[in-house]
Amino acid sequence: MNEHRSVSIIMIEDDEGHARLIEKNIRRAGILNDIKHFTDGTSALDYLFKHADGPALNGPALVLLDLNLPDMSGTDILTKIKAEDSPVKRTPVVVLTTTDDKIEIQRCYDLGCNVYITKPVNYESFAQAIRQLGLFLSVIQVPDVILD
Amino acid sequence: MVIGFAGLALIGIAAALLTARTSEHTQWVNHSYQVEVSIGRLQALIEQAETTRRGYVLTGHTSYADNARATAARIGPAIEAVAALTADNSRQTARIAGLREQLAAIAAEQDKTIALTRAGRRDEAVASFAAETGFRRMRAVRGLLSAMLADERSLLAARDAAQQSGLQTFWIVLVASGVLIVAVAAVSLAAITRYTRDLTTARDRLQLLNTDLEGAVAERTADLSRANEEIQRFAYIVSHDLRSPLVNVMGFTSELDAARQSLADLVDAAEQTAPEIVTDEARLAAREDLPEAIGFIRTSTQKMDRLINAILKLSREGRRVMTPETLPLDEIAAGVRDSLSHLAMERGAEIIVDSPLPELVSDRLAIEQILSNLVENAVKYLSPDRPGRIVISGQRTRDRVLIEVSDNGRGIAAADHSRIFDLFRRSGTQDQPGEGIGLAHVRALAYRLGGTIDVTSTFGEGSIFRLSLPLTLPDAGTTA
Repeated sequence: MNEHRSVSIIMIEDDEGHARLIEKNIRRAGILNDIKHFTDGTSALDYLFKHADGPALNGPALVLLDLNLPDMSGTDILTKIKAEDSPVKRTPVVVLTTTDDKIEIQRCYDLGCNVYITKPVNYESFAQAIRQLGLFLSVIQVPDVILD
Repeated sequence: MVIGFAGLALIGIAAALLTARTSEHTQWVNHSYQVEVSIGRLQALIEQAETTRRGYVLTGHTSYADNARATAARIGPAIEAVAALTADNSRQTARIAGLREQLAAIAAEQDKTIALTRAGRRDEAVASFAAETGFRRMRAVRGLLSAMLADERSLLAARDAAQQSGLQTFWIVLVASGVLIVAVAAVSLAAITRYTRDLTTARDRLQLLNTDLEGAVAERTADLSRANEEIQRFAYIVSHDLRSPLVNVMGFTSELDAARQSLADLVDAAEQTAPEIVTDEARLAAREDLPEAIGFIRTSTQKMDRLINAILKLSREGRRVMTPETLPLDEIAAGVRDSLSHLAMERGAEIIVDSPLPELVSDRLAIEQILSNLVENAVKYLSPDRPGRIVISGQRTRDRVLIEVSDNGRGIAAADHSRIFDLFRRSGTQDQPGEGIGLAHVRALAYRLGGTIDVTSTFGEGSIFRLSLPLTLPDAGTTA
C-alpha cells in the first residue's frame, strides 16, 4: 500500500451489525484499506471536514453512506459532501442502504452520489454485493483532495 | 281562509235567493198592475154599457142597442178576469161578489129598458129609467171598483216597498260580498306570499346544507385520505426499518453457520487424530444441534423477510397512482389465461375466458393483478377429484362491471369466506406455497379501483369470486 495514495474508507452506518458485516465482507474481498466507522452523522461530518486525519485535511477517501441515521438523514450528509464549496466534493460516495425507493435513489444521484447500492436482505446476496463492492474499490481511482 | 271561502259560498247562495225573491216581487208588482188594468177595463166597459143604453133610450137608434148589448156581453169575461187575478185576495173576492150582484141587477134593468124601447114604448122605458135605482147602483159599482183599485194600489205600494227593500238587501249583500272577496283575496295573497317565502327560505337553507355537506364530505375525504396516507407511510417505514435488523440476523446466522462449519471440521479432525478429546456433547452440538438451530433461524427469518416484503409491496401498491384507461377485458383475461396456461397444464386445469367480456375504464395493471391472482389461486387450489375448470366471465350492469372467476376446485369453508381477504390469512390445507398475501392484495386493489370483491363458495365444490367495479374509474390524479 502506497502511503500517499492510501484511500481510507469512511463508513457512516448506524447499525453496528451491518457495519461489522460490511467490514468482514470487504476484508474478504482482499481490501485492506483503513476503514473508519461512524454511527451518527454529526461525528462523521466532523471527521470528514475537520479532523486532522480526515479527507478534507489529509488525503483521499471514499465514503460508504447509509441513509437512515439517528441524528440526520444520509441525504443531508451527501448534500454537505457534494456542495459546491465543499473541499471533499470529489470524494466518491457510495450510498449503501436498505431503501430501494425509486424517488430516494433518484434524489441521491441528483445530489451527486456516485453509486447507489441497496443492501440485499438475503445474506448470500449481501455478502456477494459487498465483496463485489470491495473488488470495485480495489480498482477505483480516487482524486486527490485539494489541500490548501 | 276556509271561513272566507265558506262566506263567499254563502254570499253566492244568498245572492241567488235574493235574485229569486226580487223576481218574485217584480212578478207580484206586475200582477198588481194587471189587476189595476183589468179593473180599469171593467169599469170602462160598465160605464160604456150604461152610456150606450142611455143613448138608445134617448135616441132610439138600434146601433146604440147593439152596442150596449155587445158591451154588456164583454162585462162578464172582464169580471171573470179580475176575479181570476184577485182569487188570492179574500177582500177583493168579496167585493167582486158584490159587484156581480150589482151588475146583474144593472144588466137586468138595462135589458128591460132596451126591450121596452125596442117595443116602441120609449116613454115607459124612460119612466123605468127614471124610476129605477140604476143611478144608485152605478154609484155602488163605482164605489166598489174604486175600493178595489185602492186596495190594489195599497198592495202595489206594499209590494213596491218590499221590492225596494229586497233590492236594498241585495245591494247590501253585494257590497258585503265585494268586501269579503277583497278580504279573502288579500288573505289568500298573504298566505301564498308567506308560503312562497317559507319555501324559498327552506330551499335556501337546503342549498346551504347541501353545500355544507359537500364541504363536510370533502373534509372527511381529505381526513380519510390523510389517515390512509399515514397508514401507508407507517407500513412502509415499519417494514423498511424491520428489514435492517433482519439483515443482521440473517447475516450473522450465516456467519454463525460458517463458524459452525469450522468447528464441525475441527471435531471431525479431532475425532480422527485424538478421539478421546471429542465428547458426545461436542459432536452432537457441531453435527446436529447447531445446524438445526441455525436452520430454524434461517427459515424463520426468511419467512419474516417474505412477510415484510409483502407489506412493503402492499404499501407501495397503495401509493401507486392509478391511471384509468379504456380496457378491453377480453384481451386482459386472455393475457392472464396465457400467462398461467403453463401452470394450469401442469396441474391439469383449463382456463376459459367467457367472451365477450365488457369494456371498462380502469387501471390496467391493477385489473391484471387482480385477475391473475384470482386465476392463479383457482389453479393452485384444485380439487384432486376432478380436472380443474376455471371460467372468467363478466357482465355489465348499469354503471358497474361485474367480473366473476369461478372454479370447480376444493372450495373454501364458510367460516373462512371473509378471513381469506385478510393479510397473512389462509384457508384449508396448507399444501401450497404462499404467505396469504394474494387476496389481501386483490381486495386492496379492488377498493382502490372503487370496487368490491366477495366470494361464494361451497367447501369441496368450488368457489366464485365476484369483483364489482365501476364502469369508469375517475381519474383522481395523484392518490395517497
